[in-house]
This record gives sequence, C-alpha cells and structure tokens, in this order.
Amino acid sequence: MSLVLAQSGGFVRDRSAGASGQDACVARDGVCPSWIAENFDRYVEPLQRHVLLTVVALVIGFTISFALALLAHRRRWLVTPIVQLTGILYTIPSLALFFLLLPLTGRGFLTAEIALVSYTLLIIFRNVITGLDGVPADAVDAARGMGLTDRQVLWKVEIPLALPEIAAGLRIAATTTVGLATLAFFAGAGGLGDPIYADLTFKSNVLVAGGLCVLLAVVLDLLVLLAQRLLTPWTRAATA
Amino acid sequence: MTRTTKPDDGGPTATPAASLRFDAVQKRYPGNARPTIESLSIEVPAGEICVLVGPSGCGKTTAMRMVNRLIEPTAGQILIDGRPNTERAPADLRREIGYVIQQTGLFPHRTIAQNVATVPKLLGWSTDRIAARTTELLELVGLDPEFADRYPAQLSGGQRQRVGVARALAVDPPLMLMDEPFGAIDPITRERLQNEFLRLQAQVRRTIVFVTHDIDEAIKMGDRIAVMRPGGRLAQYATPAELLLSPADEFVEQFVGADRALKRLALGRVRDLELEEPTRVRYGDPVAGVREALRRAEVPYPLVIDADGRPLAWLDDDDLHGERIADGIGSEVAVVDRDDILRDAFSDVLQHRVQYAAVTDHRGVVIGILSADAVARELAPPGPAPVQPAEAHHGTGA
Amino acid sequence: MSAPLAALGLFGDAIDVIFHAREGRAGGAQVGGLSDFGAMAWTHLKVVLASVGLASLIALPLGLVLGHLRRGGLLAVTVSNVGRAVPSLALIAVFIAFLGVGFGNVTLALALLAIPPILTNTYVGVTQVDRDVIDAAKGQGLTGAQIVREIELPLALPLIFGGLRTSVVNVIATATIAPVAGVVTLGDPIFSQAVYGDAGKLAAAIVVALMAIVAEVGLGAAQRAVTPRPLRGTPGITRRARFLPTLRKGAATS
Ligand SMILES: Nc1ncnc2c1ncn2[C@@H]1O[C@H](COP(=O)(O)OP(=O)(O)OP(=O)(O)O)[C@@H](O)[C@H]1O
Ligand SMILES: [Mg+2]
Repeated sequence: MSLVLAQSGGFVRDRSAGASGQDACVARDGVCPSWIAENFDRYVEPLQRHVLLTVVALVIGFTISFALALLAHRRRWLVTPIVQLTGILYTIPSLALFFLLLPLTGRGFLTAEIALVSYTLLIIFRNVITGLDGVPADAVDAARGMGLTDRQVLWKVEIPLALPEIAAGLRIAATTTVGLATLAFFAGAGGLGDPIYADLTFKSNVLVAGGLCVLLAVVLDLLVLLAQRLLTPWTRAATA
Repeated sequence: MTRTTKPDDGGPTATPAASLRFDAVQKRYPGNARPTIESLSIEVPAGEICVLVGPSGCGKTTAMRMVNRLIEPTAGQILIDGRPNTERAPADLRREIGYVIQQTGLFPHRTIAQNVATVPKLLGWSTDRIAARTTELLELVGLDPEFADRYPAQLSGGQRQRVGVARALAVDPPLMLMDEPFGAIDPITRERLQNEFLRLQAQVRRTIVFVTHDIDEAIKMGDRIAVMRPGGRLAQYATPAELLLSPADEFVEQFVGADRALKRLALGRVRDLELEEPTRVRYGDPVAGVREALRRAEVPYPLVIDADGRPLAWLDDDDLHGERIADGIGSEVAVVDRDDILRDAFSDVLQHRVQYAAVTDHRGVVIGILSADAVARELAPPGPAPVQPAEAHHGTGA
Repeated sequence: MSAPLAALGLFGDAIDVIFHAREGRAGGAQVGGLSDFGAMAWTHLKVVLASVGLASLIALPLGLVLGHLRRGGLLAVTVSNVGRAVPSLALIAVFIAFLGVGFGNVTLALALLAIPPILTNTYVGVTQVDRDVIDAAKGQGLTGAQIVREIELPLALPLIFGGLRTSVVNVIATATIAPVAGVVTLGDPIFSQAVYGDAGKLAAAIVVALMAIVAEVGLGAAQRAVTPRPLRGTPGITRRARFLPTLRKGAATS
C-alpha cells in the first residue's frame, strides 16, 4: 500500500535533529523530550490554523443552528425536517464529505469549514430546542400574563433559562469539532492533522500534535463552561 | 407579617380600583364539541373580591384568563371600567392587570427583587423608584428585605407565593387575577397567607378575580362568589351569606356542603361577637385579692398578663394557694386575633383545656375573652342566624 | 458555471468506477469494479463489527453494573468527554507508533473510540429508571441480578441502542483512515489516490457515506422498535429530550 502525501497541506516530514545526542532516539521513532523542545515551533502554525478552523466552524454553526431553532420554536412542524436534514449531514463521515465537496468547492479552507459546520448543526440545534422546551411553562405563562411581548418572553425568559442546555450543546460541538478538524488537511486546510499525518510512526510527533488537540479541546470546553457559569448564576444558587 | 405599612400607604401610584363586567362571554375551544363556557355574565364592583368557584374543569381558569386576553372569548365581551378589554393591545392591557398563578410562575433566573421589578421595568420606571417600590412591597407581603437578592429556588413554597403576590402588586394594578394562589400550600401556611392577604386587601382595596375550587376558601375570601357548574354555566352569583342561607339549587347546595351551618362560622369575625371580660392578674399579685375579684367574674379563671397586657397563662383553683401567685404557673392560653374568622377561632378554642380564648388586638394586647359557648350561640339556628352582612366583613378594622 | 458541470461529470465517473473495473493509473493491475469495492466494503464492515463488538463486551457490562450501583457517574461522563476530544487520526497514529500496523491493532484503536458512547448511554439509561420502580421490585423480592435483567436492561434498551448507533456511525467514519495502518478498508482509494485517481477517491467517499447513512437509519429503526410506544415522539427531539439527559451531561448524541 502506498501512502500518498499529496493531500498533505505541505507539512514536510523533517526529523533533522539539532544536537547529535538525540539522533539515536529519533531514529528509533522514540519519545524524545529534547527533540520535542527544539522542534516545538513547527507545531505553532498548525495549532493556530486548528484554532481558526474550529472557532470559525463553531461560530458559523452556532449562528445557523440558533437561528433555525428560533424559527422552529414557534413553528413546531419545522423541527422534524430540520432534525432529519441536519441528522444526515451529521451522519456523513467528515472525511467522505471533504471528498464529496472537493469537486464542487475545491481544496482549502471553505471545503473544510462546510464539512465542520455541517457536523455542529444537529448537536447545537437539538440542544437549543431541548433547552427552550425545558423552560417552565408557568414562567412563560406568568411572563405573558404580566404583559411581556412575544419577543420579550423569548429573550428575557426563554433563552436565559435555556442557556445551560445551549452551553452543553456548544461544549459537545466544540470538542467534536476539534477532533474532526484533524482531518481538515485532507481538504487542504491544514491544522494539527497535517503534522500527525506527515510522520505517523514517529512517537514524539504523534504525541505532541495529538496532545495539542486534546489540550485545545479541554481549553475550549472549559471556556464555554466558564462563560455559562458567569451567565447563569441562578443554577448554582439553586443547589447551594 | 410585619405590618408597618399604614393604611393610607397605597404606594406611589395609588390608582383607583377598576370595575369588571363579563357580558354574555362564551368560549369554545377549537375541536371541543361543547363550549367550555356557554354564556357568562357577572359584574364585579370596584374594590371587591370576586371568587370563581366550581368543580375541576368547569372553566374557572378559562374565564379568568379571558380578562387579560391570554385567552380570547368566542363571543361576548369583557368590560373593565366600562370599556371593552379589546380596546387595548394585549401587552399594554396585561401590564395593568396583576396576575398570580398557583405555580407562582416566578422567573428562576431572576432574583426576588428582579422578579418583583418586572413590570415597573417594562414601564420604564427609574431605578430609584423601582428599588423603593421593591422594598416597600416585600415589607407589605411580610418578607424580610434580605430575600431581595435570593433566587426563587432558595425560598420556601409559601415565601414564593408571597413574592408572586408582591410581583402582581408592583404597579398597584386596579385589577388583579389570582388563579388558586394558595392552592399548593400546606393548610397552616395557607390559612396564614389568606389572613394576611385579606388584611392587605383591606389596605389596598383592589378589584380581584380569585379562582379556587375550595368552597371554604371561597367563603372566607370572597365579597361575592360565582359558583360555576361543569359546562361553564353560572349556578349562583351571590354574597357568601346568601350562598349559605339560600343556595339557588341542588347543585349549589351540594357543592356548598351539608355542613353549611358550620360554614357560616367563616362569615363572622371574632370582633363581631360580644366578648367577655377576663379577670386580669399578674404574677406576684396577692392570692386573696384575686379570689375576691373572681367571685364577680364572667370567666371563672383568672388570666395572667404581662406588663404590656399580653396574655401569659390561665390559672385555676389549684394555682391559687399561698400568699402570692407563684411565677410561671398556669396552663396555656389559646390566643385569637380579633380579625380572625369564627371558624378558625372556634377550632383554636376547642383544642385547649380551658375552653376560652384570649382575644387580642394587632399589638397582642388582650381586649376580651371568647368562649366556646358564645360561638355555639352564634351557630344556634332560631330564625335567620345573626350573621354579619358580608359587605362588612373586611371592614376598616385594620 | 463550468465547475458544477465538471463536477457532475466526475460524480458520474465515480459511480462508474464502483461498477466497472478499469486499469489503475499507476499502470498494470485492474482497480475498481464491484469485486474490488465489495472486498474493501467487506473489510470495512468486518473491522467495524469487530471493534464495536469488542467495545460492547467491555462497555455494556460496565455501564450496567455502574448504573445499577449508581456509582461512577463521573467516570462515565469523563470517559465520554475525553473520548470526543481525542482526534481519531491521532488515536490511530498512536496505535501505529506504539503497537504497529495490522487488523488487530486497528480493531483495538477503533474499539477505544466506540466505548464512550455505549458506556455513557448504558449508564444513563440505567440510572434514569425510576427509583420507585426499583424499590417496588426489591419489595417483591427480586435479586440485584434479576432487577438488572428484568427491569433496568429493558428500560435502558432504547438509550443503549442510541449509544450503539452513535458508535457504529463513528467507527464507520473512522475506519476510513484504517489504510494508514495497513487495513484495506473503503479508505484505500483515498490514500492510494495515485492508483485510483480522483474518480476512485470520490467513489469511496460515496460508498462510505451511504454505509454510514444506512447504518444510522437501520439502527434508528431498531432503536424505535425497542422503545416502549408511549415514549416515542418526534424522531430526535420532543420525547428524547426528556429521555436523553445525556445531551446535558455530555454523552454521545444521535
Ligand atoms: N387550550 C385548550 N384547548 C382545549 N380545551 C381546553 C383548553 N384549555 C382548557 N380546556 C378545557 O376547558 C375546560 C375548562 O378548563 P379550565 O382550565 O378553565 O378548568 P378549571 O375550572 O380551571 O379547572 P381546575 O379547577 O382543574 O383548574 C376543561 O374541560 C379543559 O379540558
Ligand atoms: Mg384552573
């Protein structure tokens, strides 16, 4: 079987070691701390790219699904078709989606984003709807009874109360997208998948790149969690 | 409840109460074969509590929600101060109608203060005015100001219910709608909330539509009671006294219950009866003097009071020996408020060994003694019972 | 304007490759055709079944026991969170780097990926069974094992199926990169593009996507079949919203 590196975004397999002492370790494909220390720079650009891919996908995905959810909230019949449609997008393996898109959108950032965004839609849409459905009916009734307009009920009562559920969806979407973005280099969009794929058998390389992915996922997860905590002080008061 | 608010303290926007009229109102839900409400006509004078009562599913909630247009009638109209409620946009209309529901509908994500401030904020009040009004309202419903910054989940059911009432009163609405506001609360707390609410109403005098399926609550709270039967038909619309004395038909008679003679006790207040005078004594008084005074007394037991005139204990014969009355002796006193309804007072009296209760005013000072006999005489049926007219029963006593 | 037309042409070509063998671009051997794609699809399926089977052997009993004891909720949730964050490519790469290539290692790596959704959904499925029901069962003298078998397992079945479905679809997707570890799945035309050409690559993408959708729809139907009628609702939302607290806790979706 031949490995073809043509898809790679250009991350070149390069194990040139600085100090001579590491050569043996590197030659054994080992975990070489000093090699990692000296070559860490080369992961910075892929990491930045990875962050960009992920964040853009999340922002666009969130915007679309949130808008769809608000639309479907008052028109319940829309829920089923939207779930089915986004469900299919969610099901198509992202790798396959990249290649299905290539003839239409070409290689690059756009193709990768389309695939990544389509993956977030179902997760976020479903959580927003679930969150809105979970708002206590008596609070909505009281709000209407006190003279809040439909729009005020939505923005002042329903959406704030759905925030924990919405944030939960965003967290799932964030970690999933970080993982999927490692495949974005197949679409020529770079990211941390690039270095991983460029030298699959070199333990140091795989550990650093893979580790950065997990780290990024954890950081994003915590950021969303933190934002949610700040935005929903009442959820902790209830259990305190 | 701490009642530091004076009666004239109706808030910064003391608007007059509104009158309300249902004019041949009909409601048919789409898909239902028969209308939920066939044709309802009732009139509620300004400043009165109108209770809608009836078995579950008879359309009480439906009738009430048509007032603030959460439900639109199929036919007929509802007039507030003589003007159809359809003249106003629903949101504007609702901001001027207080709304309290059984589940409280408090916003879980807002503090108590923010909950109470909902409508004032919608109306664009200044922050200072909102803050002042919030404090005032919490005090009015008997909540410590320290609750202001808590979330609803941190309050008990009864406290939440008070917040619900405070929130509905925020802009001093001329009209209030209350759907089983005390429905989900234990009997003891419910009785206290009812009493406090009646005192509050004596101060603020709003027009109130009050929904309940509990006839006892209806009799206690209502100036007028609309008994509804299934199908949303009005069975009788009358004062509590009329309802108890002459039920319009068998349905009402059954709904009111076989114990309607006893229920009449809910119509009278302790202050309406002639009270007896106790022999007031203090700890340390000479026993001989007490025995002397007792000889001429209506009540055969001396009542120990404190320096402020508040009741402490009943003494009986066994307690009257030695030279002076010993400190701390005697048996427990049943204490009732002069504004309590007779039913509640009677049950308090019966629960104590000495079947007399000390009647106190709002400061807790003894103003007389209520005996079980006096209540029984009130119940005795010769002729039309000397029941107080219902209109008087939230008088200006507070 | 010409791009979509060309694209249509390429899609047509791709479908042709699936059904008719042609000469490989690198010369010599025949590639494509039903037998070639059939063989790759069969390998793909085998590796999926093997890894999901292995994952179930581990995750199902573990989830049932933890759920029955109502312990280790943190473990179940953490496993699923971390599981989502580990990129599949990195996971396979680690296996290659540390254990080497081959069917067994790929199966192991994919099984690791398949465990979290099954574990979490099983755990949540069991813990969400009404405590009163369990109490009543205990009162009637059922043993722990009987409670698991007669009550908790049947009631958790819809969620367990949901977890299986998520895992199967995820693994079908990830098995596409198995060729880098020497297992010739449907991903091969993607990685051996020099041999298969663009049409072959696209053809593989189409077949993988179809396989995933068929698995999703088929297992979705199975999940509905094992769901008690009163709990069924809008596919994916209303009922499941209440039924799938995993969305909040961070379990696998779908
Ligand atoms: N939105 C609706 N659509 C159809 N029917 C309704 C609707 N709301 C209420 N009903 C029906 O109208 C009738 C009266 O309902 P309503 O809620 O007014 O009763 P209620 O007197 O308040 O009862 P309860 O004491 O149980 O609160 C019931 O039979 C109910 O089923
Ligand atoms: Mg009702």
